Amino acid sequence: MSAFTSALRIALAALTRSKGRSLLTGLGILIGIAAVVVVTALGTGARERVGSQIESLGSNLLFVFGQGSQRSGVRIRAGSNFGLSEEDAEAIRREASAVNKVAVYAEVKPQVSSEYGNAKIAVVGIDRDYFDVRNYRIAEGRAFTANEERFKSKVCLIGLTAQQKLFGNSDPIGRYVRIGKYPFRVIGTLESKGQSQFEDQDDRIIMPIGSWRARVVPTLGNRVQLIMVTAKSAAHIPEAERQIDAILRQLHDIADGDPADFQVRTQDEFRKSQEAILGILTALFMAVAGIALLVGGVGVMNIMLVSVTERTREIGIRMAIGAKRRDIQLQFLIEAVLLTLFGGLSGIAVAVGVIAVLTHTLEWTMRLSFEAVTAAIAMSLAVGTVFGFLPAQRAAALDPIEALRHE
Amino acid sequence: MADLIELQNVSKQYVSGPEVVHALVDLDLRVAIGEFVAIVGASGSGKSTLMNILGCLDRPSRGSYHLAGVDVSNRSADARAIVRNRLIGFVFQGFNLLPRTTALENVELPLIYRGVGARERRRRAIRALTQVGLADRIRHTPTQLSGGQQQRVAIARALVTEPPLLLADEPTGNLDTRTSFEVLALLQSLVRELGLTIALVTHESDVAECAGRVITMRDGRVESDHVQRTPRDAAASLEELAAAPAGTAE
Repeated sequence: MSAFTSALRIALAALTRSKGRSLLTGLGILIGIAAVVVVTALGTGARERVGSQIESLGSNLLFVFGQGSQRSGVRIRAGSNFGLSEEDAEAIRREASAVNKVAVYAEVKPQVSSEYGNAKIAVVGIDRDYFDVRNYRIAEGRAFTANEERFKSKVCLIGLTAQQKLFGNSDPIGRYVRIGKYPFRVIGTLESKGQSQFEDQDDRIIMPIGSWRARVVPTLGNRVQLIMVTAKSAAHIPEAERQIDAILRQLHDIADGDPADFQVRTQDEFRKSQEAILGILTALFMAVAGIALLVGGVGVMNIMLVSVTERTREIGIRMAIGAKRRDIQLQFLIEAVLLTLFGGLSGIAVAVGVIAVLTHTLEWTMRLSFEAVTAAIAMSLAVGTVFGFLPAQRAAALDPIEALRHE
Repeated sequence: MADLIELQNVSKQYVSGPEVVHALVDLDLRVAIGEFVAIVGASGSGKSTLMNILGCLDRPSRGSYHLAGVDVSNRSADARAIVRNRLIGFVFQGFNLLPRTTALENVELPLIYRGVGARERRRRAIRALTQVGLADRIRHTPTQLSGGQQQRVAIARALVTEPPLLLADEPTGNLDTRTSFEVLALLQSLVRELGLTIALVTHESDVAECAGRVITMRDGRVESDHVQRTPRDAAASLEELAAAPAGTAE
């Protein structure tokens, strides 16, 4: 241990003797480590966000999409994704035992106007189970009544973003929005769901599916884009998935094994596909950051090799007065590791700053984890050891007589 | 008196380009404790090779070397480093102090490799620097010291481990006459007072005159080896030099 502490002291003295060079060499590592830490924080933040978004959809959720493909050889509404119908939803509700609630969903994005202004806003037709399935809550006002659904009343609920676009800060309840030629009375506001991966979930107006069909898009018959289903419990999800598949195949007249014209996705699959995309992105950025770190490491090796050559005489003196090969090797290895550790710690500090700035100015979700910091420190140590090894080896292998003769 | 150095049949060859150089040929040499030996000879006579072997920086090709009764001729590099650290102090022509490093730190260095604790290291280094008359210069770096002072720091570094043997390779080669006698007077006092054994390589005759024994090398062999009953007293020479009028010293 004494050999180590004395080598540490010697290395520190050598580094402080050439401060400018040490700083510049450390800079390479600083950049690499800072890049790694920032990218990791970005990845961790994004993953957490995806997780909470998918959580916010509701629980034990399954999605059924139309595939917009062929049915009995006839292409149905090419390019449309309205491949399912209310009968499909009805059949699932009736026959699937593992299923709790079933909700239909249809959306268009027309121009919507109010007395204050107008904007393109998603207008969504749903049935009342949608509130339970999606965990939607009314912020103010009330939900639709059964009678309003039955009579296709011109009423709607409005999300926070749509509300700001159409009404600014004034209370929208009791006022009207106009979609096409019909005015709809706002009976309530929706609790905020926040930004999803692709869209603002609060930039929408929702209304009973009957009203939607009668007044907004009268040309779609009983077709819907999406059926959302909740399983009775998390354990029932696979069973529910199987049942839905069987019911829809029968209804659509598709044999087992043939490609279906619909797709059943669970929340877990959503999460997995999102995480896969994130994983690829993170890996890509990590590779770039890794290359930066590698370049920094090569810089350290370069400087250490120069340093060994410059200090050949010093090495000779040390050997003459009793330094063993291990002492010399340790001294240069510690110098390299101190350089990278210093660079790494400054890199972490810089990364913390960058993360703080990005979080505040661009409102990116970033999370600096304890693991990432630990890994960054470990990485700096590893880079120093790996890239310091060759120069240290070279220093230790010097012949004391030759080294003493070196000018 | 027991012999500190005992070389038997020592030869050293090395390959230099296409030729094999016989730097030392069947050399026998004994040096007793407390002797002050000057090794002289033309360049290429083998005196540097001899010093390297005596200093355990190099190994003989053949023959044996006993230092303080221990055979050190075939030790590994690390084992020789330990021998150098414990038994030998080095003084070089070019001083070889670490640049930008204080006198104190330079003198502490051998003790670091011996694993001596910081406090003890400091105490011993200050004592060694006091011995060479530099107690008031411990915080100076080599560039802040004169040549003579630097060489005295180097001597302090060689003495700090209290070795029985001090090897000096042209220690006065970079110094003027006055400073040379100062360093030689210091070396003589170390032999007299501490019983140190010194082997000194030089090509200057007035330096060799200060030693108790002069070995002349030629073509890798000992040409002559004689004892000087009354070696020149460097301290007295220094006084004569001071008494002489300026300009006639050389």
